[in-house]
Amino acid sequence: MSGYGGWAGRVLRVDLSTGGIRVEDTIERYKDFLGGTGIGYKVMWDEVPPGAKPFDPENRIVFAVGPLAGTGAPCNGRTAITTLWPTCWPLPLVASGHMGGHFAAKLKYAGYDAIVIQGKADHPVWLMIEDRKVEIRDARGIWGQGTRAATCAISEIMGRDAVVAAIGQAGENLAPMSIVLSGASHSAGGIGSVMGSKNLKAIGVHGSGGVRIAGNKDEWERLIKYHLSLLGANNQHVVPNSPQPWAEFYDPNSRWNASRGRRWGGAAHPVDTGACDPHDLNRIAYRSNNAAHFLGDDVWKYTVRGNGCASCPVRCHTILKVPSVSSKYDIPAVGQKTCVGLKFGANFFKELPGGPKGATGLEANMVGLHLADDLGVWCNYGQLQRDFIKLYHDGVIEKKLGAREYKSYSWGKYDKGDPSFLFELLPRIAGKVGELGTALGLGTGHLLERWNLSEETWRKDKKLGYWKLGHPKHHASDEVGQCGLLVNLIYNRDAVCHSHSNFTRNGLPLPIQKRLAADIWGAPEAVDGIGDFKPMHRSKARMAKWSLLRKELHDSLSLCNWMGPWAASPLRERGYSGDDSMESMLYSLATGDRKNREELDAVAERIFLLHRALTIRGMGTKEMRTRHDTIPEWVYTDKSGKAPFTKGAVHMDRKDVQVALDMFYDELGLDRATGAPTRATYRKFGLNDVADELAKTKLVPA
Amino acid sequence: MKRPIHTEGPSEGDGTVHGDAVADTTVALIRERSAAGELVSEPEIALFLERHVATPDTSMAGDCVTALLARLLLENEDLKALRGADSQWYYSSRSMTGEYAEILLHAQEGPVRLIAETVRHSARIYQRPVPLEIFTEPPFNLAYRQVLDCLATMAEIEGCDDIATTTTSSSGVYLYSTKHLEAVHAEMLAEWFDVGQAENP
Ligand code: SF4
Repeated sequence: MSGYGGWAGRVLRVDLSTGGIRVEDTIERYKDFLGGTGIGYKVMWDEVPPGAKPFDPENRIVFAVGPLAGTGAPCNGRTAITTLWPTCWPLPLVASGHMGGHFAAKLKYAGYDAIVIQGKADHPVWLMIEDRKVEIRDARGIWGQGTRAATCAISEIMGRDAVVAAIGQAGENLAPMSIVLSGASHSAGGIGSVMGSKNLKAIGVHGSGGVRIAGNKDEWERLIKYHLSLLGANNQHVVPNSPQPWAEFYDPNSRWNASRGRRWGGAAHPVDTGACDPHDLNRIAYRSNNAAHFLGDDVWKYTVRGNGCASCPVRCHTILKVPSVSSKYDIPAVGQKTCVGLKFGANFFKELPGGPKGATGLEANMVGLHLADDLGVWCNYGQLQRDFIKLYHDGVIEKKLGAREYKSYSWGKYDKGDPSFLFELLPRIAGKVGELGTALGLGTGHLLERWNLSEETWRKDKKLGYWKLGHPKHHASDEVGQCGLLVNLIYNRDAVCHSHSNFTRNGLPLPIQKRLAADIWGAPEAVDGIGDFKPMHRSKARMAKWSLLRKELHDSLSLCNWMGPWAASPLRERGYSGDDSMESMLYSLATGDRKNREELDAVAERIFLLHRALTIRGMGTKEMRTRHDTIPEWVYTDKSGKAPFTKGAVHMDRKDVQVALDMFYDELGLDRATGAPTRATYRKFGLNDVADELAKTKLVPA
Repeated sequence: MKRPIHTEGPSEGDGTVHGDAVADTTVALIRERSAAGELVSEPEIALFLERHVATPDTSMAGDCVTALLARLLLENEDLKALRGADSQWYYSSRSMTGEYAEILLHAQEGPVRLIAETVRHSARIYQRPVPLEIFTEPPFNLAYRQVLDCLATMAEIEGCDDIATTTTSSSGVYLYSTKHLEAVHAEMLAEWFDVGQAENP
């Protein structure tokens, strides 16, 4: 082991076909790729041949964390899980899911930076990791059970300090729309069925070690306090959502919704969240109540508290206690989730008595989150529900199902917005029962193909939120203009990138955002007001590049991209600036490998390029611009007939988008004609071997 | 005849003239009230001093309170004053921003003015329409019915004709000022805040 801090130094390799278990040295093989998605892409590049399918034994599933996981750095609890993505359509390509909770920290405490799993067990198994003791255990006793029962059974064996990541029936049954779940609510979508294909029910980890910080301990303490001082609420929203005595600004859309009088009413002793002055670092956990943000203010009375990932004071997974649901639906009264997962249930319904934020909506959400997490069903950022609503209301479901199957669903209940309908639907998705359950479990692209529906229809309808490759938009052009569009081009699933939208949604007035933008991306033109978009500017391309590189950096260091980067802060005395060097300062002190912001961003760029190379090799073409980086038609349309770049218009201009692509490719060293990295770019980032391999099949631009 | 309280210089030995203590008490009062999220008006300060500082044979003359406050503003960087319709209001920037103080001031001026000024401020500073519901929450604290009544009043009185409403596809009502936001932009933004953001969490 080298003298570096941060890394555990070992990668665990498990071959489920042979039962072979070994370790390899992280630093020797992977240091240039940091960890997380970096290790994931490297393993996929080195070991999974082009043409492999997600459920082939030779596919790898890489659970990888970074050098900051398990340290005291705020928001470090993210595990990146990389594999061939089963919902990527029309052909599977490499992508990553992101799981929060305590798995990442525990893996480090057990002494590992990653687990690389290959092969396929001949019967259901689970993987037990207790420090150096690693065993492949028989899972036949828990196969067929939900994630909750599986987690309990493994915790009985390993003890309550162990962390378990398990799949439910959806993953076992190879439904591509499936998750792996860790703890009560930390899910990574798209992964479950790949684990299922390997007969791997779960991974239990217990570690008794620690993570060594290479740098001076006092300096580290000071850095952590400094970082904490720059944190906002969830998604780095830096102003409160209502006027507060300490605040110069507010934004009703902010996730910073603490205020005097807003109380966690479901707690044993209700807690007032208070004014939450940003200088009071002991009250960061009171700032965000994501359930109230998403489900409405009534939810305050059901809120127990926030929960969340290792070393994260933000606690964005709100715990709710809704007593009525236990007797009505026979589900636990207590549940927790964050973000889109909070709305898993209500999102299936076009109509709900009292609306989506009413009492029935809340019940639907409680039913939805419990069923989805236990069965291990994924929503694909809400695409599952949007597809379902469209297919039902367009009469497609009735047409595609046989009369008998169609009648087996209580559509009357569904029409009335009765949450108990979800008990009919979700288990059938998880079990691949019938035509509807099977089709919905495939993911959008494969569903459209199976039912002979045109993807073009989905790409035209903005309401459907669909982008490409079977996946939805994620903070795209209608929200962040050209930068949002560019960010959405790159990945083989939804972009899951928040670097850009965390900034534009931070709540600060536009002139302040522009001042901060000029500091980071070179010009105030990098950001526009929403619905007041301006033509492409080079600084927007820089912002898009920065957004993607910071996302890769976070996914590789185990930092949370739902919080970082810290470009802005809630501190008026700093002019609301954050610190764009936060990641490099944390990395340098933790590992002892001193890198400034630009140097660490260059590592992120290497990781990014390897992902691009994997996409090119997977598709067998270098024509990224025309065949991969495609843009749905809705991006260019506006029902009211307004022209692009006029007030109130959020659609893009076709010519301007081509300019945006040129600038973006330039910034990233990609060939303008194809969008593929040039040989010089590969060389610049130490990826000569990658270029050599791609050149053999003419996949490097001339 | 009561003697006026001295508001300058040290306290005297007999305890009837308070000097610096009056100033200290006044500063502490303003800071305390700001920490509790409140403004304090000049008459309130005078009354407070009358009750807590004055003795049976001394009193606070109005003009001496005015002079005292003017001096305190110069001597204490954190103390700030806002001119209201009937009085001057004070706060400490140690625990209250000018923006928050402005809202509290408008609240003193009645709900119509509070709503109108808040909507204008939001449109001017943030280019944002305001959801009607925020007025039912602190620090506005209006009843929903009261907000609706104010909107009806605004439609009839002079000086509020820039305040407009837009309703989203989810029936959310948003207010904006046409002085600072074009209708087409405000409508799009309201729809985005009420519906779009929820679909793009
Ligand atoms: S913000 Fe939420 S998801 Fe991110 S690390 Fe904190 S608790 Fe986890």
